[in-house]
Amino acid sequence: MKNPYAYIEADIVDVIDETSTIKTFTLRPREAIGFRTGQFMDITAPGIGEAPFTPSSNHDTTEILDFTIMNVGRVTTLLHAMKKGDLVGVRGPYGKGYPLKEFKGKELCIVGGGVGLAPLRSLIYALFNEVNDYKKIVLKFGAKTPNEIVYKREIDSWRARAKHVDIEITVDKGDNTWKGNVGLVTTILRDLPVHIKSAKAIVCGPPIMMKFVTFKLLELGFRPEDIYLSMEKNMSCGIGKCGHCRIGPYYSCKDGPVFTYQQIKDLNEVWD
Amino acid sequence: MESSYYCISKQSFIDLLDRLAKHYSVYVPYRKNETLSFGKLDPEQETSIEIGQIRQSQPLKSFLNQALEKVMVRDPRSEKQGKKTVVVGVKACDLVSLRIQDYVFKEGDYKDPFYIEERESTVIIASDCADPKETCFCVAMNGKPYPEKEFDINLSLLKSVSKESYLVEVATEKGTRILNEFRSFFTPGDSSHIKFRDELRRKVTAQIEQFLQKRSTQRASALGGIMKKQFGNIELWSDNASTCVECGACNLVCPTCHCFLLSDQKVGGVPERLKAWDSCLYKTFARVAGGANPRKHLWERLRNRFDKKFGFFAEVLNTFACTGCGRCIEACPGDIDIREVLKGLVTGTWAKPPHL
Repeated sequence: MKNPYAYIEADIVDVIDETSTIKTFTLRPREAIGFRTGQFMDITAPGIGEAPFTPSSNHDTTEILDFTIMNVGRVTTLLHAMKKGDLVGVRGPYGKGYPLKEFKGKELCIVGGGVGLAPLRSLIYALFNEVNDYKKIVLKFGAKTPNEIVYKREIDSWRARAKHVDIEITVDKGDNTWKGNVGLVTTILRDLPVHIKSAKAIVCGPPIMMKFVTFKLLELGFRPEDIYLSMEKNMSCGIGKCGHCRIGPYYSCKDGPVFTYQQIKDLNEVWD
Repeated sequence: MESSYYCISKQSFIDLLDRLAKHYSVYVPYRKNETLSFGKLDPEQETSIEIGQIRQSQPLKSFLNQALEKVMVRDPRSEKQGKKTVVVGVKACDLVSLRIQDYVFKEGDYKDPFYIEERESTVIIASDCADPKETCFCVAMNGKPYPEKEFDINLSLLKSVSKESYLVEVATEKGTRILNEFRSFFTPGDSSHIKFRDELRRKVTAQIEQFLQKRSTQRASALGGIMKKQFGNIELWSDNASTCVECGACNLVCPTCHCFLLSDQKVGGVPERLKAWDSCLYKTFARVAGGANPRKHLWERLRNRFDKKFGFFAEVLNTFACTGCGRCIEACPGDIDIREVLKGLVTGTWAKPPHL
């Protein structure tokens, strides 16, 4: 029987500084480990600890995986100190991921904040694999400052990917180079170029942002079953056994981490 | 397979265990002052072995899902020298907890191979409760003070005075193998023994009924929907949590609590992964690295303990994750009594903490 707590080894083949606190690590696992967009994996700094992350790369690429990681806790600090050539562990994939089938033929409004863009980048690549299967792809991103925007080097190429891709970025606080919107991400959700009654919204970001974006989307007329949220909870095992990530009758690791608002709206302890 | 009945004297049974210990790691209940606790069979301590009585201070899960175990790289069974485990004197309130532990570790998409290995190889020699304590409330949780399932062999006390002996019920292949190997230790059981056993079972059940009535302990039938009803009753939760010191003892002694934490260490440069029992009362239990914590307050974490037992498991498994063993009542340094908390949840009234 397979040991679900054991990781497989992976070599760090590239490290990109996204911002002062966020890096993208490209890993080459020594055994095949595929995933579907939105699923997550546990990354181990061997002998030190592990933490859950959603790959930010295209799920069609299986030999290497990207993880975009913010330096925010014990394990991420150690990961940030690692370099190309270092060895980490990878375990997974876990969770259900994004239901691409439900997105087909729809107008999609993807709202991200900060390092929450990591799973969304993977989703965007998955959508781009079959870009004409989606009626419209609207991306609304928020960052604290222009320097805190991740994937800057790629976003222009996303804009150029297809005519029906529409991207807007806002920052909480601008600088003298910034020409875009200044304000929280909720301020760029007005006048969305989609038919709200039939569109799908996909949200990933810090808990407080998720909460206010969800309320804004509801106010705009999105149905609870059309809002897909990545629920950030403390996860240890990733397989629904350790008990940490429980939300009502669900475990975020096993039943999520992507939930529709309809699934969780009447549950307790959702937003914190 | 059908149960079959035999008799064995206490001395013969202990002799049998001594013989079994050549092939198995045998754990038996010892009396230590007021409590019973499991320990490895030791010829020098045989006089303090106590089979009847009530549940031991350690829950059965300690043998199946150890408090701390290496899950990567896996320990060879060095301590046990490859021996399988026999646990003696296991009570019904522990046996029914296996429904929860099995659900978590044996069922679903991912299985825990370490639990399954122990669960399948461990021999459970259960026993009826002969002398319940005031903290026993299994009957309120739809349980019985005697084993009905999940045992390989069960022992029912036949004579309690000088010459203790047991009615032996063999229920599985594993039990039958032991019976066959030690056939000469047993004598046939008959209907008079079963009658004696049933009489004692009725007496003990009635005793627990009296405990329940005396303090108006709520029964499982009254507990449906209580978490939905009282989740938002902050006063109830904060009053009940006012003496909680966040020690996690209730989780450790609970036969159904299953939460754990994986942690990594390096030993001689080699990375290892450990799996250790965790407590939902600890402040960091649900906190994420970014700092968000859905249960910042201690009362939210005490509420979570009840929500897991009486909300979550009711919803996903149609059962409550409490067997009425009463261990948490004895373990709590803050005197938090699960029976009183449940009473408050059902009736909406509870005693105010004395210091408030």
